Amino acid sequence: MREMLGHAPGRIYLAVLLLSVLALAVAVGMGITETPDNGEPVLIFGWITMPLAVGIVFVLIWLVAYLIYFFKFWPYR
Amino acid sequence: MIDFIALGVFSLIMVLMAAYGYKVSAKTAEDYMLAGRTIGVVVMFFFVLFAISSSWTFYGFPGLLYLHGPGYVMFIWGSVAGFAILYILLGPRLWALSKINNFLSPIETLAERYESKALRVILSVTMLAFVVPYVGIQPLGVGRGFEALVGTPLWVGAVYAALLLIVLVVLGGMRIVAWVNIFLGMVYVTALLGSLLWVIAVVFPDGGLTQAAHRLTEIAPDKLSTPGPLGEFTPALLIGTFVVGLLAFSWPHVVIGVMTARDKTLFKWFPLLVFVFGGLFFYIIPFLWGSIVAPAALPGVTDPGEADRVVQTVIQTFLPRWFAVFVLMGVIAAAVSTAAVQLMTTSIIVARDMIQGVFSPDASDEQVTRWARFAVLAIVVLSLSVTLGVTLGIGEAAMALYLTDVSVPGFAQWSPALVGGLLWKRGTRQGAVAGTLAGVIYLVLGLLVTNAAGERVLLFDLHPVVPTLPLNALVYVVVSLLTPRPSEEIEDVFFNEVDEFLRSESAAAR
Repeated sequence: MREMLGHAPGRIYLAVLLLSVLALAVAVGMGITETPDNGEPVLIFGWITMPLAVGIVFVLIWLVAYLIYFFKFWPYR
Repeated sequence: MIDFIALGVFSLIMVLMAAYGYKVSAKTAEDYMLAGRTIGVVVMFFFVLFAISSSWTFYGFPGLLYLHGPGYVMFIWGSVAGFAILYILLGPRLWALSKINNFLSPIETLAERYESKALRVILSVTMLAFVVPYVGIQPLGVGRGFEALVGTPLWVGAVYAALLLIVLVVLGGMRIVAWVNIFLGMVYVTALLGSLLWVIAVVFPDGGLTQAAHRLTEIAPDKLSTPGPLGEFTPALLIGTFVVGLLAFSWPHVVIGVMTARDKTLFKWFPLLVFVFGGLFFYIIPFLWGSIVAPAALPGVTDPGEADRVVQTVIQTFLPRWFAVFVLMGVIAAAVSTAAVQLMTTSIIVARDMIQGVFSPDASDEQVTRWARFAVLAIVVLSLSVTLGVTLGIGEAAMALYLTDVSVPGFAQWSPALVGGLLWKRGTRQGAVAGTLAGVIYLVLGLLVTNAAGERVLLFDLHPVVPTLPLNALVYVVVSLLTPRPSEEIEDVFFNEVDEFLRSESAAAR
């Protein structure tokens, strides 16, 4: 982590990770995983519940950020 | 009869692998404890993934989802991030430090970093206290599986699992524990995924998961969103569950895996497997089992114990009996793979950190390895006593609470010293000792002191990690800033040399 703080891409990478955690907390806090007012739970493709969908998006953000940083910018690559 | 033959063949494969491991091992402490630091990325992935995927992923996790709806999956998202944090942010430095200085345990690394034998004892005792009962729950899981599927008493499965563990760990050491985890992991994934797909095909032939979710929408729509049918998973609890999962980076049996890495490239590739195979594939299987398939196939279960067994019950109800035996092998695989790594970790702490670190610093490699093997036997006996205690009626509920409310917060108590020791030059011995003691003492008192209503007043009725870890971290930082900074020699060995080593390794690789 010390090597990441030593250059701009690393600081951006860490900021993306931190922001994604905050965004997840805000989304959950705003009730994105709850049943909407119409009374029907949200099911993407008919079976993906919102807590699953939110987590998949979260993991995908971490995956893309990792791929970009570790394969292009990581000082120890 | 065929059940026992199948289980016999399954066990024989593991015993043969352990014997092979004993034959090819170099008979050094480094080889026995850290597989000679030769673990590559694929083996490491299976090693770590199935070290943490215990029988809990078959019983406890789907059971909780069944009763409370999908909210508990936040623990998984936190854990995926936590494992990535360990390998992305801390792993390269811990690996390089242990390789350069021949450290054999993460506690040894921190004791040398902070120049403190007292810290070594404090961390060793703390980690042992929180890991050992965790080992005990795994044979119990196997015993339950035997009881349900083969009809033997609970102790038969527990003793069977304990014997397997002894043979694996005593003979094979860390290398074979890692290799066996590949075999066990494949059995487990096949059983868990195979049973899921088969049940979906049998019970929901006209639409699969969509049909199952549609049925749930009709009979129990609360099970498809938060806060769940019992209203427990509020936004605050969801975020708290995520944070507890995030602390997975501090589980000692996962941290030690970092030190077995063959080279630095592992840390570049490992997160890819964590995100793709772990986060987007493996953990979704028990999630679908517990949150959609089981409640739609077998609705109406309200008892927590029955909910824990719901996946097994669905399999026994809808699939042929021979497949249920294969699933039992999967449960054994999950339990043994986790307990074996935990056993290795605890035996290393006992032999390297407690006996050699405190009482016999001049011990030979051979002696340390022998102590580690004896420690395995002692820990298995201790863990079996826990299992026996549970069966005699001390209380299964108390045991489950021990894992969630005690072990995980307990593991977290070394994380300020661990993170600070690896990343913060200003972290001092006094800060690490004071922070760890403050956190552990607060945790123990907080768990023991309750009011008449049974509320944990010192913890403000919060999850134990919530008040204890920030106090630990605060004391660590404040005391470190108030005490003299570590010596230049420590800064050189634990920071400058590591940076140079990692950069030179990178340059050499290009």
